Amino acid sequence: MSADVHTLIGPWVLDAVDEDERTLVERHLTECAECAAEAAELRETVARLSDVTIAEPPAGLRDRVLHAAHRTRQEAPPAPAPEPARARPQRRRVRMPRWRLALGAAAIAVAAAFAGIVGTVAVLQSTTEQDRVATVLEAADAEVAYQEAEGGGRVTVIASESLDDAVVVVSDLAALSEDRAYQLWLVDAEGQQSAGVMDPGDSSATMLVEGLGDADLIGVTEEPAGGSTSPTLPMIADVALPA
Amino acid sequence: MTSDQGSGAARREQPRLTAVPGEAADTPEQLLHRTALGDEDAFAQLYDLTAPRVYGLCLRVLRDPAQAEEVAQEVLIEVWRTATRFDERRGSASAWVATIAHRRAVDRVRSAQASGDRERRAAAADAPTEEGYDAVAEAAAVRLEHRQVRRCLKTLTELQRQAVTLAYYGGHTYRQVAVLLEAAVPTVKSRIRDGLVKLRDCLEVAR
Repeated sequence: MSADVHTLIGPWVLDAVDEDERTLVERHLTECAECAAEAAELRETVARLSDVTIAEPPAGLRDRVLHAAHRTRQEAPPAPAPEPARARPQRRRVRMPRWRLALGAAAIAVAAAFAGIVGTVAVLQSTTEQDRVATVLEAADAEVAYQEAEGGGRVTVIASESLDDAVVVVSDLAALSEDRAYQLWLVDAEGQQSAGVMDPGDSSATMLVEGLGDADLIGVTEEPAGGSTSPTLPMIADVALPA
Repeated sequence: MTSDQGSGAARREQPRLTAVPGEAADTPEQLLHRTALGDEDAFAQLYDLTAPRVYGLCLRVLRDPAQAEEVAQEVLIEVWRTATRFDERRGSASAWVATIAHRRAVDRVRSAQASGDRERRAAAADAPTEEGYDAVAEAAAVRLEHRQVRRCLKTLTELQRQAVTLAYYGGHTYRQVAVLLEAAVPTVKSRIRDGLVKLRDCLEVAR
């Protein structure tokens, strides 16, 4: 049977199989890594066949598609290590947000794409944190905001309101001496609280900020190594969080 | 990015929100990732990059501009809706989009066949679109780098090439292809696979 299924991979890639065969092949591909790899290659090949059919779409299509997209909810990403729903913080002023350096291969590639950077250096702490970062990046309600920082570099914030978390990618800020460090702040109407201090002298990092509460923006300041209890103004960046 | 023809010029002159002035254009993968985060500007850019491929493929398979437009719209909204499921490790963004487009177009062909929708098919055949279609295809032929695909298709044997193109552009199943080519079903299956492998090697799709 499996040999028979295997001969259907070519037709399957061309969508030239019937419904039952399609199901059969797709199940087979989940069980046979080698076949899945071959199928993926042939998919890329077959997609090239559409190079020769490219045509100018009708003028009205763009507006209709964009309009429809605006009113269409996006699907949830495929379950990445499901977590129990986290309760909203009851007393947000008391709870200190935790932050970590986090780096996952896929997550960082995505974050780097947002931030327009390559080679962000960060420390991998655990797969749990990688997963947390990936979960934020893949959240259906994740929103991206960024700002060019005073003095150079860029701060990108990918925040998910439902998760109450944000991934902050700081890249190529102005160079610091080893006795200085960049610090992140969660700022709301009542003031600001530290969201973490980067390692002394570091000008790039990817961080997970947990517990956004009602913060309006994420700010970055330059502080003495180890950080300060209140920010040294002016901030070099203040990225608004989605309302 | 799709053409410098006058018909599309007005649209393209509209200011477009660009993430970072002066930076290299975003790749489809980057745009798709941002689309997955609900970024409508990224999706608009992704539309500009992929809609000609989606519409053109639907038009080739369905042959009817009205249906092609309808299906292309479904496809592009599906791209928006399921961008969250795109996995770069499993293939390129343009292949992902082309795959959705081809499958939707073929599904439309099959459902029309299944319901014996003569009317629709007759309408498609009658529509004075063949000229328009050829003109569009011709323009596309001039302006797009597809010589490589054409050249590689020529490296296939006649039966391989016919089997692959009847299935892909014609939207036929391999069994239907066997009937059309008066060949045995197992032969067609293996010719399709051999043809695709040869095409892959010629196009040097390395992953």
